[in-house]
Amino acid sequence: MAAYIIRRLIWTVPVVLLVILMTFGLMKQIEGNPFRQTERAVPAAVQANLERKYGNYVKGVATGDLGPSLVLRDRTVNDIVKEQFPNSIELGLLAFGWAVLLGVPAGVLAALKPNSRFDYGAMLFSNIGFALPNFLVATLLIYFVSVKWGLLPTSGWTTWQHKILPSFTLGLVPMAYFARLVRGTMLETLQQDYVRTARAKGLRRRRIVTVHVLRNSLIPVVTAAAPLLGYIITGSFIVENIFAVPGIGRYYVTAVSARDYSVVMGLTVLLSIIVIFANLVVDILYTVLDPRTREART
Amino acid sequence: MSATQIAGRIAGVDAGAPIRQSSLWQDAWRRYLRNRGAVAAAAVFLLMVVWCVVTPIVSPHDPNEVDFASAYEGPSWSHPFGTDQFGRDLFTRAALGGRISIGIGFAATFAILGIGVVYGAISGFVGGALDNALMRFLDALYGLPYLPFAILALAIIGTVDFWTMVVALSIASWFITARVVRGQIITLKENDYVRAAKAVGVRWYGVLGRHLLPNTLGVLVITIFLELPGVILGEAFLSFLGLGISPPDASWGSMAQDGRDSYRAHPHIIVIPSLCIAALVLCANFIADGLRDALDPRTKET
Repeated sequence: MAAYIIRRLIWTVPVVLLVILMTFGLMKQIEGNPFRQTERAVPAAVQANLERKYGNYVKGVATGDLGPSLVLRDRTVNDIVKEQFPNSIELGLLAFGWAVLLGVPAGVLAALKPNSRFDYGAMLFSNIGFALPNFLVATLLIYFVSVKWGLLPTSGWTTWQHKILPSFTLGLVPMAYFARLVRGTMLETLQQDYVRTARAKGLRRRRIVTVHVLRNSLIPVVTAAAPLLGYIITGSFIVENIFAVPGIGRYYVTAVSARDYSVVMGLTVLLSIIVIFANLVVDILYTVLDPRTREART
Repeated sequence: MSATQIAGRIAGVDAGAPIRQSSLWQDAWRRYLRNRGAVAAAAVFLLMVVWCVVTPIVSPHDPNEVDFASAYEGPSWSHPFGTDQFGRDLFTRAALGGRISIGIGFAATFAILGIGVVYGAISGFVGGALDNALMRFLDALYGLPYLPFAILALAIIGTVDFWTMVVALSIASWFITARVVRGQIITLKENDYVRAAKAVGVRWYGVLGRHLLPNTLGVLVITIFLELPGVILGEAFLSFLGLGISPPDASWGSMAQDGRDSYRAHPHIIVIPSLCIAALVLCANFIADGLRDALDPRTKET
């Protein structure tokens, strides 16, 4: 297992370099810069930054320096990340929280009574959760909960009341995903020989479910965390935009419109590195959690 | 009584009767038809496509005609979906937007399949160190969000039209397809008929083109409907952020964006195109489930 983890770790380095190279190469292709519109002279420091070489940029990323912003004076990409990123992380974690809180129990209950009314209801909800575009969910929630009933604020990110609707909207797809996934793995686990053995030796159903079934069914929930991170990042672009959450998903779109390309590049590289490392952690966790995969993967 | 007839008697069947011929696809088709949910989804899906194609041709309303006197109308007989802020008929425009949304959806899905098949086939067929390198690369990229890269791609190309949208949406979405194709090729490679083909001297392109790739077709058909929802939603997200196709052309996403500012007074402008997206995505998901059960009965969910 150690060999697998080490190999996996080593492979991360060229992939990160390649992603930076791809982003860097893409950025070089973009025509124009923010100064062309205003016909201001390009400041020397910024000109130097525009002409930065890939090697220097990688060195910067490695030391945690993403360079200056092209549009905002006296601000670096690091400042922007420091300011906006915590909000995005909080939003993402809260969304993940909703998903675990509602999605996992729904999947467990559905699997314990397959083809029951609850099962059908949960799966219908899951299917609809996948299909509804999150801007519709956000708009409907604002329309009813905030405007019509006046229960929660429409937008902003200050008090806990502000955080309920955005995180719920963002958590809907992961919730639907968990409900489906947990139901599927639970049903599969319930048919395993060791569950039959447990039943045969007279264990109570509650104990079988909590000790034998649940523990083994929740492994895919851990491994699903990495692809779900992608969902959450993509979703945050829309949700932060609608609910005016000061996070990097919203800032990314602003930066693209303002042609603040060093910010766009810095944020792209940052998000990619986060996803790559999440994959790494999940792969390693998977081998630790499920002994059966150790043999196959070394 | 001949030997075969005796054998037939013993087995309880008429050995003389011809064996019912049924190909994999006929079997799959029959299994698919038995799944009522999937059949209904396919019917609604087809109906929506036909609606999008036909409505703009037969509609009495010009989809781009501005008429402020009838702006913000709710649904009525002459305007079943109401009108938008410019008084344009939303029934006709939704169909027109559907053409673009569905068109981009399928075009980008096929682009994803194309890239995925090439990458996956090379990785699986060549094997060895190259396979290892290509797959470790995919391992690391798995789950990379496509949206930032799509936005970047759009920023680079500059103008946003149908095909730039297709490029933007497929550029960072093919990782899963590539992995699936590679897995298929690896499994198929071990089959006896592939070994036999190699043994009688079939060249590598013959093995790949005649024995391996055609057998991945089933998985690819499923993949079309697995990828389509993501692509259609992706297009909608980009359009909703104002990075979509330029007016007067519209997709469901850009129509939803049109209704964004007036959702309090006139929610129908944002709700109708959004529900079109939701209906299509829901159908595609059901079709994908049905196809998976039909084409690969082993993975059928209980």
